[in-house]
Amino acid sequence: MRTTSKIASVALGSAVLLPFLGAGVAQAADGSTMATLRPVALNGVKGSGTAMVTVNGTRIDVTMAANGLLPDAPHAAHIHFGADARHECPVAGDDAKGDGTINTTDGGPAYGPIVVSLTKTGDTSPKSGLAVDRFDTAPGGKINYERGSINVSSGVAQAITEGKAVVVVHGVDHNNDGKYDGTTKSDLDPSLPTEATDPAICGVLNAAPAGGMDTGAGGTSTPNNEGMLLLGGGLLMAAVGTGAFTARKARNRV
Amino acid sequence: MSDITKSGGRRGSIAAAVTVVLLVVGGFLVAKSFSGTDAPPQPDAAQSAPSVTPAPSSSPPSPTSSPTSATGKTAAPSTADFGPIMGPSAPVSLKIPSIGVDTKGIVDLGLDKSGKLQAPTDFGRAGWYANGPTPGEFGPAVIGAHVDSKSGPAVFYRLGSLKKGATVSVARKDGSTARFVVDRVARYSKADFPTMTVYGDTKGRAELRLITCGGAFDQSTGHYVDNIVAFAHLTS
Repeated sequence: MRTTSKIASVALGSAVLLPFLGAGVAQAADGSTMATLRPVALNGVKGSGTAMVTVNGTRIDVTMAANGLLPDAPHAAHIHFGADARHECPVAGDDAKGDGTINTTDGGPAYGPIVVSLTKTGDTSPKSGLAVDRFDTAPGGKINYERGSINVSSGVAQAITEGKAVVVVHGVDHNNDGKYDGTTKSDLDPSLPTEATDPAICGVLNAAPAGGMDTGAGGTSTPNNEGMLLLGGGLLMAAVGTGAFTARKARNRV
Repeated sequence: MSDITKSGGRRGSIAAAVTVVLLVVGGFLVAKSFSGTDAPPQPDAAQSAPSVTPAPSSSPPSPTSSPTSATGKTAAPSTADFGPIMGPSAPVSLKIPSIGVDTKGIVDLGLDKSGKLQAPTDFGRAGWYANGPTPGEFGPAVIGAHVDSKSGPAVFYRLGSLKKGATVSVARKDGSTARFVVDRVARYSKADFPTMTVYGDTKGRAELRLITCGGAFDQSTGHYVDNIVAFAHLTS
């Protein structure tokens, strides 16, 4: 009985296995990544968010949602990557000047330079890194961003799928007065206060899970019942045989 | 002559007794296999459709719900109405009262070489995708657990019988509890798994995915051929 069901399941299994392997390969190549955006150390932001970047060759599709940002102020948002960077979000120890905040220079060793500007319209190259009129202004402190078919270099595409790229949303309000101001100038653009460019929330793009999960060992599975059905059915068939024998014997006696 | 009759009669009665035994045992096994008490529950079609949300105007007017939904819900002030959201904190325990799940010590899960989420090594524990959002944060937090071990039911044995509207609560390391409500429960073939639907962006909502195995068990691979996935969103 056992042998029969084993043979049957091996035959069935090999038929099931082929498309199974094929699916695994296809999904590994499609390159969906997600970042959980969390407050950057020392910068006093309470916000959070998620970003999803799907890589197709050298084209990427990006969706991003965030909240808890300074409302109605432009928030520059980028994908950062540097071969020499740590591929991380900055930590308190990155505050090189010891001024108690993390600015863009402090963030560099952690996440590297801008490789994609997540603008709402127009150019998406690093050149648009501070195109404040084309970034989301976070009405109500919230960003709900979606942009498809952004062209990137193959190196950037590879960095994203390998978990080395970092999404950063900039713009903080250190003094809680509801706007970008203060005497400290941005180290990227001296015409802007540092509040406008300091990193607010940040997350590393990591591969999203692909495919299902193997979460069972079969101890309660249906095939056991099928085996039971086959065994039971076999016994009933045998009963027909012995029953017929009994009937014949009974007939002979008469 | 009498000898033959005698032995024939004896053989006849032995055969009759064997017939009765075979009928009883065989019948019992057939009945038991059909009753299916051992197999884990699977979600029915009604549970896999998304719940009707009160917001869209396209939903048919219902005399009982329309007055309350019109006044009870405040209009979304901006285009981005994300619902409740929590800060990051790792899950420590999971409760799903309607299916008797109450599990502590949630383990971290990673991805295998093919990008698949690895299952907990312990059949008695649930695990979460530690590289993704924590339950309560933006995005799809993922908690997976086994449906069964080699010997019997495991943590998510009854996940397939979970119903829309059921509550799921996740206690977190920071002492807070993330409470979710189930939107739908569906069964997907692992060979054609909807990766984006399950793990993809949630358009800003804090959501939860509960995953276990379902469908038939393939003895040759040692795995079930389907996954059961419950989709839930954060309520408080």
